[in-house]
Amino acid sequence: MKFSEFLIEILFNDWFSLSNLGPFMPGETFPAYFEVEMFQRALLAAVLTTVVAGFYGSFLLMKNLALMGDGLAHVSFGGVAVGIVLGAAAPLWYALIFSVTAALIIHELQERDLLTGDASIAIFLTGMLALGLVVLRIWGQGITADIEGYLFGNLNLIDYNDLDLIVSISIISLVSLFFLHNALLATTVDAIAARIQGIPTRWIGLWFSAAVAAIVVSMVQVIGTLLVTALLVTPAATAQLVGRSFRECMVLTQLIGITSVLLGLFLSSELDTGAGSMIALVSAIVFGLVLIGTIVVNQDANKQRID
Amino acid sequence: MVQAESMLEANNLSVIRSGKIVLEDVNFQIKEGEFVGIVGPNGGGKSTLLLTILGILSPAKGDVKVFGHNPQFVNFNGKVGWVSQDAASIPTKMRMTVRELISLGTISSKNLFSFRRGKESSAVEDAIKLVGLEDLAEADIGRLSGGQRQRAVIGRALASNAELLIFDEPLVNVDRSARNGILKLLDDLCHNENKTLLMVSHDLTAIRQSAHRIVYLDGQVQFDGQPSDIPNLSGLAGLIGLEHVHSHAHKEED
Repeated sequence: MKFSEFLIEILFNDWFSLSNLGPFMPGETFPAYFEVEMFQRALLAAVLTTVVAGFYGSFLLMKNLALMGDGLAHVSFGGVAVGIVLGAAAPLWYALIFSVTAALIIHELQERDLLTGDASIAIFLTGMLALGLVVLRIWGQGITADIEGYLFGNLNLIDYNDLDLIVSISIISLVSLFFLHNALLATTVDAIAARIQGIPTRWIGLWFSAAVAAIVVSMVQVIGTLLVTALLVTPAATAQLVGRSFRECMVLTQLIGITSVLLGLFLSSELDTGAGSMIALVSAIVFGLVLIGTIVVNQDANKQRID
Repeated sequence: MVQAESMLEANNLSVIRSGKIVLEDVNFQIKEGEFVGIVGPNGGGKSTLLLTILGILSPAKGDVKVFGHNPQFVNFNGKVGWVSQDAASIPTKMRMTVRELISLGTISSKNLFSFRRGKESSAVEDAIKLVGLEDLAEADIGRLSGGQRQRAVIGRALASNAELLIFDEPLVNVDRSARNGILKLLDDLCHNENKTLLMVSHDLTAIRQSAHRIVYLDGQVQFDGQPSDIPNLSGLAGLIGLEHVHSHAHKEED
């Protein structure tokens, strides 16, 4: 029995019996996410990756690396393409190797001031994607159908092999962040000060890069390589609009992320659209609404001050 | 004798950056309890000296010793506090309270993994009090004035119980009214809290008024002594263009 199979059993049937929530859920098809095994897998994968992405995305945002996730997703896609061509049973493992390697190389090059600026990072990352596409074109005739799932996500088709990878990446990322979040925060705020304090900023940086790269891979099937940013950065950015402290932003990021995912799943199942794109759309709309809300509230406050 | 102990010393220090000799044969010492100001023109090697003291750059010749050790290989675990220019150090896309920022100062390699910070919290409260931000402890650092933010960054360095505090242009983003408050705080830290201070600044007036000793750095140490010993320091500075930079900075603030 696979670890994730065991986890699904515990969550939905044994201890937590989340499947009992099914009848209380709105909509015609949405309750299936709680009652039917393949959709239970989808729900677990979606919620778990959203939680992890929310935490790490907040730090990416603070580091001004919002598009790093997008870039690494490109690389992952290149890895998937190579994996498919080589006939791998689980191409995501190739994506993982590609993504983590690229992230570590970028981190080292940046540390040594050899690679600076958005443009050079973008060139590096699109180069890896291009490699995947060329390889696919030359050796991979006729398997383009598979590719679409990785571009736009294929949440409802996640099997236990995929889910095992997603769950492992998520748990390792969460546990390491739990122990290192203070050091990571200090490094993010002021890397020199953190280093002087005795924090091993170099190792923190390498760990963070590798973790983000792995998390991006875990999100590929949930939301698709094209839409990774929607879960990685959007909830965190929405929280920054209203939060007043770091702690508050973290809590809000999770609330916003999970709401967006559940609402996205609901709408996609009821309207029969792709799950990944609907989740991305919902989280963007939530950001838009909150943005408008804060503008209105600020204007009101200014008006009152003038009156 | 503790008083004579040198906390920081540069011996025949030369540093080369991108093929250019930035510091040449620099010698000076800082003893415990001193407040030393470093002035000099842009490109005179002030930031290079700081980065070398912090162990980030390595000397081409000679050495730097902090607490008697080479800073490149020794982890001072909070004994050295670094106070950067606040605007350069705090990311803008982040919400964080003053208390959250200051508490980051308590982390070192010794408590890297700990997530309950009970023991450290008294150090944090002390630091908040010392920099006079009790009323703003829960305020978002993004909404503070330049002077208040600079106090918060100083508080972060104090939370680690640093004995040697190194300031990089602490007055750059601070307006005139807050400037004297910061200088008073630095004075307090030196005289009442027994901290040793090293401050780099363009603000010659500020350095003359608060530092015990001035080191004038222009590739080499051009002057090292008490402010009163060189009545024509501003003349010297004007010659090299320092005073110009200094007055320019004030114009921008106004």
